[in-house]
Amino acid sequence: MEERKIVGFAIDPEYAKFIHSITNPADILGKPEALDDLVVLDLSYGNFAGIVASSFLAELGAEVIKIEPPNGDLARKMTPEGIMIGDAGLAYIVEARNKYHITLNIEKEEGREILKKLVKKADVLIETFRPGYMDSLGIGYRQLKEINPSLIYCAITSFGQFGKDAEKFGKMTGYDLIDQVRGVVMSVTGEPELDPDVPKELKKPVKAGNWMGWYVGGMWAVFGILLAAFYRKRTGKGQFIDVSPCEGLIAIANYLMQYYHMTKMEGEPKKMVRAGNFDYAVFPYTYVKSKDGYVFMSGFTDPNWAALCEIMNRPDLQKQYPTIRERLNPYNQPVIQKEIEKFTTQYTSEELLKMVLDYSKKPDRKGTVVTGRLNSPKEVLEVEHLKVKEMFVERKDPNYGKVLVQNSLFRFMSRTPGRIKWICRPIGADNEFIYQKYLGLGKEKLESLKKEGII
Amino acid sequence: MEELIGDIFEKPEPLKGIRVLEVCSVVLGPAAADYLAEFGAEVIKFEARRGDQMRYVTPYAYFYKNLSPGLLEQNHNKYWVGMHFGHPKAREIFYKFVKKSDVVIDNLTPGRLAKWGLSYDKLREINPRIIQLHVSGFGSWGPFTGRTSYDAIAQSEGGLAYITGLEGRIPLKSGVWIADWTTALACAIAIVAALYYREKTGEGQFIDISQVETVIRYLDWTWLYVYLTGKNRERFGNRDLAICPSDLFDCKDGWVAICAFSENEFKGLCEAMGRMDLYEKFADPLVRLKDENARYILAEIAKWARDKTVSQIEELALKYGFSAYHVVDVEEAYNSEHFRQRKAIQEYEDPLYGYLVEPCYPPRMETPARLKWGARPMGFDNEHVLARVLGMSMEEIEKLYEEGVIYKWNPAVPSQCPPKDWDGKKGLKYP
Repeated sequence: MEERKIVGFAIDPEYAKFIHSITNPADILGKPEALDDLVVLDLSYGNFAGIVASSFLAELGAEVIKIEPPNGDLARKMTPEGIMIGDAGLAYIVEARNKYHITLNIEKEEGREILKKLVKKADVLIETFRPGYMDSLGIGYRQLKEINPSLIYCAITSFGQFGKDAEKFGKMTGYDLIDQVRGVVMSVTGEPELDPDVPKELKKPVKAGNWMGWYVGGMWAVFGILLAAFYRKRTGKGQFIDVSPCEGLIAIANYLMQYYHMTKMEGEPKKMVRAGNFDYAVFPYTYVKSKDGYVFMSGFTDPNWAALCEIMNRPDLQKQYPTIRERLNPYNQPVIQKEIEKFTTQYTSEELLKMVLDYSKKPDRKGTVVTGRLNSPKEVLEVEHLKVKEMFVERKDPNYGKVLVQNSLFRFMSRTPGRIKWICRPIGADNEFIYQKYLGLGKEKLESLKKEGII
Repeated sequence: MEELIGDIFEKPEPLKGIRVLEVCSVVLGPAAADYLAEFGAEVIKFEARRGDQMRYVTPYAYFYKNLSPGLLEQNHNKYWVGMHFGHPKAREIFYKFVKKSDVVIDNLTPGRLAKWGLSYDKLREINPRIIQLHVSGFGSWGPFTGRTSYDAIAQSEGGLAYITGLEGRIPLKSGVWIADWTTALACAIAIVAALYYREKTGEGQFIDISQVETVIRYLDWTWLYVYLTGKNRERFGNRDLAICPSDLFDCKDGWVAICAFSENEFKGLCEAMGRMDLYEKFADPLVRLKDENARYILAEIAKWARDKTVSQIEELALKYGFSAYHVVDVEEAYNSEHFRQRKAIQEYEDPLYGYLVEPCYPPRMETPARLKWGARPMGFDNEHVLARVLGMSMEEIEKLYEEGVIYKWNPAVPSQCPPKDWDGKKGLKYP
């Protein structure tokens, strides 16, 4: 690889080259996998938090067996505009990586007996049914830990397994949007309440465009499962894990609760209002219009603000809003924003980036300004950096044709990098292999189970 | 569920005995270490002379007893050391820590630690079991390495801001530093995976994580959709493009999310609306996802919801078997009995700051997270850490102060300092 592509803007090119040498994507397949001794059963249904959790584990080498009812997981149909490739929608294809796909009807007694046999051989079980459902079938944690005491059982539900809300609302099916509305983050995301130019009916909470509730929930589940696996390595003990994705959002909602509590201790609790692209703790730190789309622009500490004003040639602005006290005033922010945009709309994002980088090389610069383009997804796919880092994997899948999916985040672990081995599998495609491998069931037995509607 | 309830301090900590050295500032790096600290790791946080930037980042420039809520949010249960890494003596001290530690995390500019002699090739020589993680905007190598990044850069360069926002309106960033927090979670996952592997093999490793990649990773079907259709993914407000119905609706007294994807749930919703004609026409979830059908169905639900209250719709959802819930804000979460019962929100008495109420990291499990204490003034635990971990005498420690290797808070900078009413003793572990 050309050196330029490795060292980029590195302050120490030798360091960049060294890290490249120990995390080179070309070497990944020859390296070991961190979780290659874990067998994971994923029974999640219609819920991507469970699917994402098992995806991350599969990237890190766990043998994940996705167990679907004979008609397939409803999640296969959660796809934009209803686009399907064969039996799978786009979202499902993205998160089926490295997993074996089998079918099993756990609503039938024989299906449950088969599940119990699999649980004996498994280390982790993930499910997303309403609380108490598995238990009512005789295959909840209480029953399964008798069969396999070191089992790590991870249940993911919107309202959790216990607590006041779980008692009342626990029977509702979980959705990403339900997790997002309960997660507090959404209450402060949306167009700015205090900008008089925003029409009143548009001043409302806005969800993250992606399935943030499900993905963040799934990531917390992975974290919990790995903590439990590590603990089990040391003690031999399995455990129960109760994931409620909204708690994963509440726990990362900045200082909202701390601020509420502290102001309450002083008399009157205070809440943050939706700020749009402003930020009431750092400003300017915002998206502004340019000639060709939006760019991020920041200069929030006093020296950095001075630098931004110098680049814009607006000493008057610096005088008018000299310290963070003026700039963090929510009523000033829309005004400052519009002043900055008077400047930025005269240039393209490329020109603005160049101006900022040139300024950063000046010996008498007053501070650091940071900028970056607000990319559309199409533009993201064209970014050279991401291509060099193999952020996307383009493959011809034997069942789903030519596809492109995002790569594992863990592929730069020097010893046990994450990886994608295959993309997706049809419903029940691995029945023969998995049932033969773990239960010794031959073709004839499988045929009869199929006739009985078990698989 | 009895295993999950009860006194959290009676339960084991999964990362007990794991020592983490944090050389981080702002949100991303400190949050990664925080996730580990709340689950029992011993995190020693090294702070540069100018202080963690979050000492000065706080809403409306607000401080509570000299504490920035922006600093507190990702710093719990940690031990705080003020140490100047540029000093040659600091390097020797850090080597001694590395020998006795399991994990090193830094989020400085890639290569900065290497310039101080603390790169992975050196650290693994000292301790082959060490797991070193670096996290940055774009990673430690590649065309963009070395570029400064912030949460909002990752949200914009990764495509999240472009797909977030109301239809036909401006792109929006999240109301919180979501790319920081989630990338920190990716870091914590990688670290525990590496600890697990080390438990089997004794081998440590180096881990490089990048912020913009985390954002790209969790944009679900975006990339495959763009690749196959050649179209961009646009902004659609609260409507879920892959699940119908799933949207936020205006009610008489607020907003409510309504979701009903399976045939049965959709049937329940149509019954509640008295609109079985919708069910007959759109029973199949895939048919509902066609844009024209989805717009029609959502508009009909919107008309129905408009003159109802949020709680009326939630009750109907329970009765008819679909999902509906209102938007929870910080006040409701704070006062929620549910989250307190689950220990998702915990109250504790901090020796410096008194009663604090904060979220505690999920998931709820038999080896759960817990809050012991909050953020600390700069250099607050210098003596304790140097004496306990390295066995240094007070004389040696005094010398390090004199040489400018270690330091405490600057009295002229209030947000580095203890509260004004501090008695000079409370919260100190040693001497």
